[in-house]
Amino acid sequence: MSDKKLKIISFLCNWCSYGAADLAGVSRMQYPADIRIVRIPCTGRMSPKFILSAFREGADAVWVSG
Amino acid sequence: MDKCIACGLCAEKCPKKVDNEYDEALGKRKAIYVKYAQAVPLKYSIDAKNCIFLTMGKCGKCAEVCPTGAINYEDQQKDITLNVGSVIISSGCKPYDPGKHDVYGYTKSKNIVTSLEFERILSSAGPYEGHLVRPSDKKEPKKIAWLQCIGSRDNHLGANGYCSSVCCTYAVKEAMLAKEHSHDPLDTAIFYMDIRTHGKDYEHFYNRGKDESGIRFVKSKITNIVPDSETGLQLINYIDETGTRQEEAFDIVVLSVGLCIGEEAVQLADKMNISLDHYNFVTTNSFEPVKTSKPGVFICGAFEAPKDIPSSVIESSAAAGMAGINLMESRWTLTKTKEIPEEINITGEAPRIGVFVCRCGTNIAGVVDVPSVVEMAKKLPYVEYADENMFSCSQDTQDAITNIIKEKKLNRVVIAACTPKTHEGLFQETLTNAGINKYLFDMANIRNQCSWIHAKEPEKATQKAKDLVRMITAKVALHESLTEPTLEIDQSGLVIGGGVAGIMAAKTLANQGYHTHLIEKEAVLGGQANKLYQTWQGEDIQTHLAEMIKSIEEDKLIDIHLNTDITNVDGFVGNFETHINKNGTADTLKHGITIIATGASELKPETHLYGEDDRVITGLELDQKLIHHDETLKSTNTAVFIQCVGSRIPERPYCSKICCTQSIRNALKLKSINPEMNVFILYRDMRSFGLREDLYTEARTKGVQFIKFDFEKEFKVTVNKDQLQVLFSDTSLRRKMEIKSDLIVLASSIVPEKKNKLAAMYKIAQNADGFFMEAHAKLKPVDCATDGVFLCGLSHAPKPIDESISQAMAAATRAVTLLAKKKMNMDGTVAWVDQEKCSSCGVCVSICPFSAPSFTAEGRYEGKAEINPVLCKGCGLCVASCRSGALHLKGFDTHQIFAQISALDEFESSNGGQTADTPKTDKENEKDAATAAV
Repeated sequence: MSDKKLKIISFLCNWCSYGAADLAGVSRMQYPADIRIVRIPCTGRMSPKFILSAFREGADAVWVSG
Repeated sequence: MDKCIACGLCAEKCPKKVDNEYDEALGKRKAIYVKYAQAVPLKYSIDAKNCIFLTMGKCGKCAEVCPTGAINYEDQQKDITLNVGSVIISSGCKPYDPGKHDVYGYTKSKNIVTSLEFERILSSAGPYEGHLVRPSDKKEPKKIAWLQCIGSRDNHLGANGYCSSVCCTYAVKEAMLAKEHSHDPLDTAIFYMDIRTHGKDYEHFYNRGKDESGIRFVKSKITNIVPDSETGLQLINYIDETGTRQEEAFDIVVLSVGLCIGEEAVQLADKMNISLDHYNFVTTNSFEPVKTSKPGVFICGAFEAPKDIPSSVIESSAAAGMAGINLMESRWTLTKTKEIPEEINITGEAPRIGVFVCRCGTNIAGVVDVPSVVEMAKKLPYVEYADENMFSCSQDTQDAITNIIKEKKLNRVVIAACTPKTHEGLFQETLTNAGINKYLFDMANIRNQCSWIHAKEPEKATQKAKDLVRMITAKVALHESLTEPTLEIDQSGLVIGGGVAGIMAAKTLANQGYHTHLIEKEAVLGGQANKLYQTWQGEDIQTHLAEMIKSIEEDKLIDIHLNTDITNVDGFVGNFETHINKNGTADTLKHGITIIATGASELKPETHLYGEDDRVITGLELDQKLIHHDETLKSTNTAVFIQCVGSRIPERPYCSKICCTQSIRNALKLKSINPEMNVFILYRDMRSFGLREDLYTEARTKGVQFIKFDFEKEFKVTVNKDQLQVLFSDTSLRRKMEIKSDLIVLASSIVPEKKNKLAAMYKIAQNADGFFMEAHAKLKPVDCATDGVFLCGLSHAPKPIDESISQAMAAATRAVTLLAKKKMNMDGTVAWVDQEKCSSCGVCVSICPFSAPSFTAEGRYEGKAEINPVLCKGCGLCVASCRSGALHLKGFDTHQIFAQISALDEFESSNGGQTADTPKTDKENEKDAATAAV
């Protein structure tokens, strides 16, 4: 597991989780570099199509937070 | 300070560690620091008292490592003179220090903490990163106790007589959070005198804590804690509800410390010649709740009285409004208009993207291999230009970017740097200055969300930065110029409801220079205040009310519509049309904003023999008797007040907030009319919050008898041989009691109009209790979720007159911030409908929380959805919900997000390479179909 290069796409709400991800940086927290963040205006924008599309592009996991 | 980019290198290298006061000294910080992670502006500063260079003349590490030369050891405190017309004091309060007169052993055990320290322990950004542990040995606690009223409601040395108003609710919150944080079941107990959850929805919260979270509430004032240094436990002795003596050991004891006024605030008040009360709170009167004794100086927040965040925020708007009225004449005299270059039309041009990768000193470049990111970016489709900057946000780089955009004829820009949350606006301005539309832009977050959090994995961080740049570049290629819809705002206001709140809101609007309509359904103004006797501070309400009514009747800017009913409402923020029926005549009022102040009324109880025996009256009816100097009160031998009639019951779970104080005040009045009278107040929790506690203390010393009755047990009012009797169970004596009385006063609850038709008309929500809901309890306490509609008074929640007045001022002030704009520029990233595709299903219309979609009323697309861009907040809920693919969100459209996802992998291996500016709907169709087939 640890050798495998993971690809996690995360869709984060601009108003909360995206800001929290920024704050994690300001606080210099450290976490694995396998996440690619896509900023969305609100999780209300989240469409199942995006999740399917992410898997189609080879994502190992999709994380929606908002 | 302009040079600091908040990279944090200085703090990293600073050798001096100091107790972190933000973490209540539970953790450490450096001598160069930011107060807390979310600080605005995010700039580091030197703590001169602890800096080695400033105290001993050597070190200088921070200046050595600072990449921008922002360190200035010579910086001095400067005196600045500002010429102002109004002053607002909001200097707040400080927590009570339990160590000063240490009766609780606070300084003896690390596991006895204040509530603020406990907040830091719970915080994920706190000293233990949100891991709930005992400070002494970092073991996870099994039992935590909260002791209420530490330093409050206490007349002993060093403590304060008043109630701090906020501690009961925060203790419930902390106990609930602690339970959530704990891996194993955590036992929590709150030791209290009265639970005072009197704010809006706080009683629901208390019930949740008790019934759902299982917090134990023990009515017992704890005076002594015995720490055991061997086990780290704290022993507490108390008497439980059955009268048995108990000894319990807790891992952590939290002292719910009160709010008090610091010495600095007192000196400030002294300097400004503002009068303070005997507790050092700023004196105000109930009818001018934000005005100090000195003209032109206003007050808001906890320096006025202990209060919670919503009340403080409400008062801050009120104070700003009052200060604004003072400055009305000079409004707009100091504004400057910025010159904006004409926008270049890029329609039909192929994308020419510029990618600017920021090094941010070493913040990014120290981890991410910036040159390789630039090299990768150069090879991406449509990228005409890619380079790195030392600091993209510095003014000279901004100018350089502007020139490059012009020179290279760029029509899309990507900045790979920090975060759009703080810098999007700045870079958009750069685009505007270069003459291209500001929406032809996006950012790749390679600092906050990359280099900073993967500091030890430079290779992976570089790969991630490349991916993020590639993804956002693919998206930006599909960006288009967007226009920002503008909205003209009708320069008049409408206030609905002619009670105290409505009158005050209308007066504040008019004083700010706006024409205002005031609608009242009854034939007279004044609402519930017409029936009220005195405020808790003893001010005569009828005199003040008469003055208020007179002043708005004389105001030429206010049109008062009595006997008026609202029949229908059209329009939205800026352009409302309210149709009214005034004494049988129809009329239409046009207005830019609406303030709802429709009030609430007193419950007419169906219990306690009310309506059957005329010696049983409500609180308001007693007020009437007092206003009219009723002679029968003089000959009354015994009076019994019964609290919480209709409130805090399953049917009406909220607290009516004002009745405890009203009963105490009237009990005192009865005592003054007839000192021999036996006056009893039967209560569940006495909620004389804040400075009202003084009144409670006075009533006890003057012989008013307060008895806590058991709510779970039988409570009856009967008549025996024409003698009124109250039967109940006393919680302290734990036995049945009976009082023979001549007068029974029911502290009856405040009830809102449950199915208020205005809710549907102005699209405002009511909570389960029937009170109108604000957009956000703390951040927007007087705004409705619907733009341009504001709330005040009893229709929002039960509250005393001074709070209704400050809320009315606040609502009017918030409304003025809209009106004063005259024109509103809305965001360009809004939804739009491809009406050819719309199937008229109505999902968007029903799902939108802002009422932006509607059905087109006429024309070729009659019945199809359309979006009012002015109301749209760009959340995309409708877009994601549209079954026909007819809805699109500018700036975050489906094909744009798809492009971003598709660019996840290296360009060669993905199916990227989409061409932009070709007809997008076709492209998107293919994408949609392909995805649907997955």
